[in-house]
Amino acid sequence: MPPLISLTGLHKSYFNEEVETPVLHGIDLKIDSGEFIAIMGPSGSGKSTLMHILGFLDRPTKGTYAFLGEDTSEKNDDALALIRATKVSFVFQAFHLLPRATVLENVMLPLLYHPGIAPSDREAYARKAIASVGLSDRESFLSSQLSGGQKQRTAIARALVTEPALIFADEPTGNLDSASGLQVMEVLEKLNAAGHTIILVTHERSTAEFADRIVHIKDGLIESDTRSHKRRRASADVKLK
Amino acid sequence: MHTTDLLSSAFTALRRNTGRSTLTMLGIVIGVGSVVLMSSVGASMERVILSQISSLGSKSMVIFPGSNQEGGASQVFAGHDSLTFEDIERLEQLTTIESVAPIVFMPGPVKRGREESSAQILGAHPNFFHNQNMEAAEGRLIDTFDEDRSARFAVLGPDAKEELFGESDPLGKEITVGERSFTIVGVTKPLGSQFFQNADDRIYVPLSVARQETGQKYASYITMLATDSFDIAFADVKGLLRSHHKIENPKDDPEKDDFIVRSSEQANDILSSVSLGLTLFITTVAAISLLVGGIGIMNIMLVTVTERTREIGLRKALGARPRDILLQFLAESIALTFLGGVIGLGFGLGFGFLIAIIVERFLSTYEFVVSMPSMIASLIMACLTGVIFGISPARKASLLDPVESLRYE
Ligand SMILES: Nc1ncnc2c1ncn2[C@@H]1O[C@H](COP(=O)(O)OP(=O)(O)O)[C@@H](O)[C@H]1O
Ligand SMILES: [Mg+2]
Repeated sequence: MPPLISLTGLHKSYFNEEVETPVLHGIDLKIDSGEFIAIMGPSGSGKSTLMHILGFLDRPTKGTYAFLGEDTSEKNDDALALIRATKVSFVFQAFHLLPRATVLENVMLPLLYHPGIAPSDREAYARKAIASVGLSDRESFLSSQLSGGQKQRTAIARALVTEPALIFADEPTGNLDSASGLQVMEVLEKLNAAGHTIILVTHERSTAEFADRIVHIKDGLIESDTRSHKRRRASADVKLK
Repeated sequence: MHTTDLLSSAFTALRRNTGRSTLTMLGIVIGVGSVVLMSSVGASMERVILSQISSLGSKSMVIFPGSNQEGGASQVFAGHDSLTFEDIERLEQLTTIESVAPIVFMPGPVKRGREESSAQILGAHPNFFHNQNMEAAEGRLIDTFDEDRSARFAVLGPDAKEELFGESDPLGKEITVGERSFTIVGVTKPLGSQFFQNADDRIYVPLSVARQETGQKYASYITMLATDSFDIAFADVKGLLRSHHKIENPKDDPEKDDFIVRSSEQANDILSSVSLGLTLFITTVAAISLLVGGIGIMNIMLVTVTERTREIGLRKALGARPRDILLQFLAESIALTFLGGVIGLGFGLGFGFLIAIIVERFLSTYEFVVSMPSMIASLIMACLTGVIFGISPARKASLLDPVESLRYE
């Protein structure tokens, strides 16, 4: 079976008014299904840029990206949108919930764009996802009435609802206090244990330690790639005290 | 995205911004409302006029003394001496004309005791009643026998009867016209207005009596029926009167004539030019207000797209294609214009109905008419406005870059 993600010689530059800003300088990376991987690095090192490319929100300038063994460079925008709708999903630092919609409505939103889930099944899917982040009693709350941690768990439910092959989380704890942050990380950990592949982007060591594998990025290059099969929850707990 | 999703997301977005949506819709409301109102009023007026024409009959013709002025305006000279009784004898001999009825006006006042009437007094040939499709409501009309023996009989129009007798029975009673007294023999059924004059406030006496009393050698006007086609009769009448009046008019210049021929067919033409004018006017008002409304909608949609940049980025991250975003915002602007159209329709019909209630009191043949084609057309126009002015904001939204949109503050 091919790896879920396979990057070779991946480059990315931004162009603003003919000015080139190179960000990624040749990334080689393989990620298998079921992994919980953290991409770590200082601010501005290109973590988010990499995640956007991995999540088909952006395209590389050079190099190849094979997803489930298939080269993605030839795919058009609609094909990439379809992958986003069905195979990958995102959890953002800023939550990005619709403030005047309820938790249920927010979680149902991705299903609008999922061709394989019938409208009549949407609510059942959403309820299941909400239950798995422990927010069933908040379903009909407006998202603006939730605490930060609840907002992020709603966002995780929204990421889960399409049952994607891969969930990206970009600094999911960045806007949370440590207790809520811990709760969110525990939810992600549980999802990984249930078989979801998770790619976490963070600049915090304590958050990264929830992952099984940590990839360090610096100045657009992979600096180190370490695996640890031992869970680091204990140390995280210590740190949160 | 399913169609139902588009509709529900569009109406949800409008509801979340009720105040702004209402203001934005105003232009469309006014546009559609005024079109629906004016076409309803136009259709009602058309009916009023059509009912007059049908009361005259399509073969009815009238000759007035006078001449057409430059630019098409016509000048009728009631006292103009051009229609002689010899003319009438000749007209009677035309095969294209049947039933010629000259009229001579008699001066008032008309009195019954102390009651006085402002009714017009017509010395009418018996054919007149036939030409005008008139019937007696009470008693009888003036007949050839009355005419031949110059009987001092009078027939009242319903308004004149009302004025002089109120509810009491006029038959057999006397009225005085000038110095002479007349016996009432009948009352006519109502005619409404003809050539935009009240045809019910009239008193008819035999033509022979009117001629004796006034000494008139000319007819005030002449009514006729065309035997068959109006057009041929029209040409015949003009030719005859011109040759008899010694008018050289090979170019058919109505300014040179000393008479004017009118028909209900012409009234029909006037009606269609009036309704063409009304249609043009309505179209202009619709176009202007939809344009103004459309520009307002475009502005608001551009603001909406900017305000919701992050939502657009999010939807794209969740798998929305550019097309889905385009349709979403297009659906919103169409929902806005459609809703504005429906509200405008309601206002237009409501005002049309109110106007009908008021006008009906003065013009009994006026009734509220709903113009279905114009209602449908104006709703379609409203929706088209939504498409035309919504497309560019929606396109702008669909082309936003997801990463940058998510970062938008
Ligand atoms: N649209 C853009 N145009 C130009 N430069 C950009 C753009 N987006 C990101 N960058 C630059 O790319 C670098 C990496 O950014 P990012 O991937 O967001 O870093 P990280 O997530 O690791 O903090 C930064 O120096 C940032 O300024
Ligand atoms: Mg970042």
